[in-house]
Amino acid sequence: MEFKSEKLDNGLAVIGEVNKSAKSAAVGFFVKTGARDETQSISGVSHFLEHMLFKGTGTLTALEVNEAFDKTGAQFNAFTSEENTVYYAAVLPEYLAEVTRLWAELMRPALRDEDFTIEKNVIKEEIAMYKDLPNFDVMERCRTLYFDGHPCGNSVLGSEESIDGLTAGQMRGYFETRYAPNNMALACAGDFDWEQILAIAADSCAAWRKQDVQRTLDHSEGSGRKERVGKPNLVREHVCLMSAGVSARDPRRFAASLLGMIIGDDVGSRFFWELVDKALAESATMQFGAMDGTGAFCSYIRCSSENVKKVLDIVRAVFDDLAGNGIREEELRTAKNKVLSALVLKNELPMGRLVDLGFNWIYLEQYLTIEDDVNAIKAVTVDEVHALIEQFDPRHFTEFCLGPARDSQ
Amino acid sequence: MVLLGEPMEAVQSVAFGFMLPAGAARLPAGCCGAGNVIADWIFRGAGDKDSRQLSDALDGLGLVRARSVGSSHIAVGAALEAGNLARALDLHADIVRRPCLKDDQFELARQLAVHEVLSLDDDPRQKVMLKLREQFYPDPLGRNTIGEIAELEALTPDTARRIIEGGFNLTKTIFAVAGKYDFDAVCRKMEGLFETGRQDSAEPVGLGLRAGRYTHVHNDGAQVHIGLMTETVAPTHEDYYNARVAISVLSGGMSARLFTEVREKRGLCYAIGARYHGLREAAGIMCYAGTTPEKAQETLDCIVGEFNRLAEGISEEELARAKVGLKSALIMQSESSSSRAGAIGSDHYILGRVRSLDEVKDKIEQTTVDSVLRFLASNTFRDFTVATIGPKQVTVQ
Repeated sequence: MEFKSEKLDNGLAVIGEVNKSAKSAAVGFFVKTGARDETQSISGVSHFLEHMLFKGTGTLTALEVNEAFDKTGAQFNAFTSEENTVYYAAVLPEYLAEVTRLWAELMRPALRDEDFTIEKNVIKEEIAMYKDLPNFDVMERCRTLYFDGHPCGNSVLGSEESIDGLTAGQMRGYFETRYAPNNMALACAGDFDWEQILAIAADSCAAWRKQDVQRTLDHSEGSGRKERVGKPNLVREHVCLMSAGVSARDPRRFAASLLGMIIGDDVGSRFFWELVDKALAESATMQFGAMDGTGAFCSYIRCSSENVKKVLDIVRAVFDDLAGNGIREEELRTAKNKVLSALVLKNELPMGRLVDLGFNWIYLEQYLTIEDDVNAIKAVTVDEVHALIEQFDPRHFTEFCLGPARDSQ
Repeated sequence: MVLLGEPMEAVQSVAFGFMLPAGAARLPAGCCGAGNVIADWIFRGAGDKDSRQLSDALDGLGLVRARSVGSSHIAVGAALEAGNLARALDLHADIVRRPCLKDDQFELARQLAVHEVLSLDDDPRQKVMLKLREQFYPDPLGRNTIGEIAELEALTPDTARRIIEGGFNLTKTIFAVAGKYDFDAVCRKMEGLFETGRQDSAEPVGLGLRAGRYTHVHNDGAQVHIGLMTETVAPTHEDYYNARVAISVLSGGMSARLFTEVREKRGLCYAIGARYHGLREAAGIMCYAGTTPEKAQETLDCIVGEFNRLAEGISEEELARAKVGLKSALIMQSESSSSRAGAIGSDHYILGRVRSLDEVKDKIEQTTVDSVLRFLASNTFRDFTVATIGPKQVTVQ
């Protein structure tokens, strides 16, 4: 493995980790923008813009873009979160230069009115699709309740109304500042020629103009509020709980991930033994998510409406026990083994490696080898996890339940 | 037991899987969902370990566990750091050969299986595809692997034990391993752990009728979830690669027909795609689309139109894109130890041998516009099986 990095004069970071033994290579543009960077009047624009980048440039139509990717056999797509928009492709090594050039071109899209109008329908279909996925819906609603006005609670998809109201002009304005080269990174992983990729970046991206890009980075402790919404077509109770954690730049993020796994990995965790093993809930998981300037533990539980009270009592007892008695040495050891296995397996694929490489750069402007991550995980102590529980008491959670409509609703 | 292995140079991990011939189609009538209960129950204590000790031992090795219930098999396996393979196999020998199968643990596994069936109502997208398979495949091939509430409620520990006794037939079990390992050492280990006398083979599955053409489940959700399937050649057929290329032209990438016509030009859907779905005995092209109620009929008609339009002609460019897409996906999947272990096991079951990557690449390469069109001309899409869930029904022509 060999790490390379360069910054163009306009601020675009170009990074790569060359692994000649890989059979494929992956490339991605990581743009530091998402729902948290939107105002209410343009809610959903980051995600809509992600769709619009596939619609082509001044010289390429949407169909030509898709054909150009498919001609290389690329597995390509993009995703938008609260704070990042990532465009990626995994290909056989001989095609990496071609898809990198293509992505670079697409980063300066045409944003045509007619494409914008037809894509609105697709976005609204996507919003409808997620309404039929209560496990997703409950997490998004809980996030909004938890962040309570903090921009990290903004909806990634926006609403049907906000999408209806959005104009192509507003999107162009948003694009101008947020897709500035100093707010992006181009990353590659796997088997590729670094000099060639760097030359493509210099050739295709050097003319992009630097902008003054801002983001507010307040921490949120969460509202602690509790809400329930009933929907007549639902059968199960879907519960989301969120509580505060450390940010993506905080070295304690490794301890926080391990704590999330101890409490709520899908097998062998405290939630698993207390809720799933005993058949009180069919799903009960917790994950820690680190963000820019803040972070949160997020749990998802699904059970029957009859069991929900009992389940939540048990969850509180699990949190009480953690706050009072902490974790055991062997729990931490097991969690480390699981995190390390998953890390090694993920990073064996160039596409998996690309994600870690790109996000480490976006959040830390730092290259971390797989060994660096492995060592940081191995070094976490029980005391560090206890300090984290003390500072971020899991009992102070925000709760959102989505379930069948009750008579009173 | 058949032992299959594929070494991979570039990885530090190893993945393995047992294919136990106790899938949904092989269960006795009236036991729909028993596979799901059994796949949970056998992990609730095995050998001299109780449920908790077994789980801790597996987690202690950092195993990323995988288990699933399919039409033909219950698959149990894991991916892990290569150095822990021998210890992981010891534990799996207990799980497969010496599960505790306690009554109280059965009850918990059964309750979870019932909850899973109930949860399916909140996941119309998954449910519609299960309904579709039930309707499309001749019984019992498409049998629902998650189960039916009444049958799960009637299931007893004794019935489940008998299914395990007959179904966990080591003579008919396939074991596949891929990644970083020493094949001779694995074979010696497996002989020590799994050698038994030969057991009688299970009777071949007798095929019944297909259930029907259209089924609708009402749900006041936001979308109509459409599943559609039509028959195509099985993986053993000489035209298999022509079929795969044809499906790739239809839905291989974002420039393929379905995505372009249904989503890009008409904005009817967000999620739309078709793929090959093959069992040993039968195969189909399986398609999903989710759309708001007022667009459901137009979406279905547009999809069927694209299936039928395929035989009218394919361009050289479309063929080239389909081929490179299939080949790239194949090579990229081969970088993952879990994917390879799964692929060689399934090859052996379906074809009776394991195809090399080069063989698959060559076969894809040999297809031409003429060969694909010839295949489509002699295999016209006649019947479409359709399942929908949502606030509105569609009309199936």
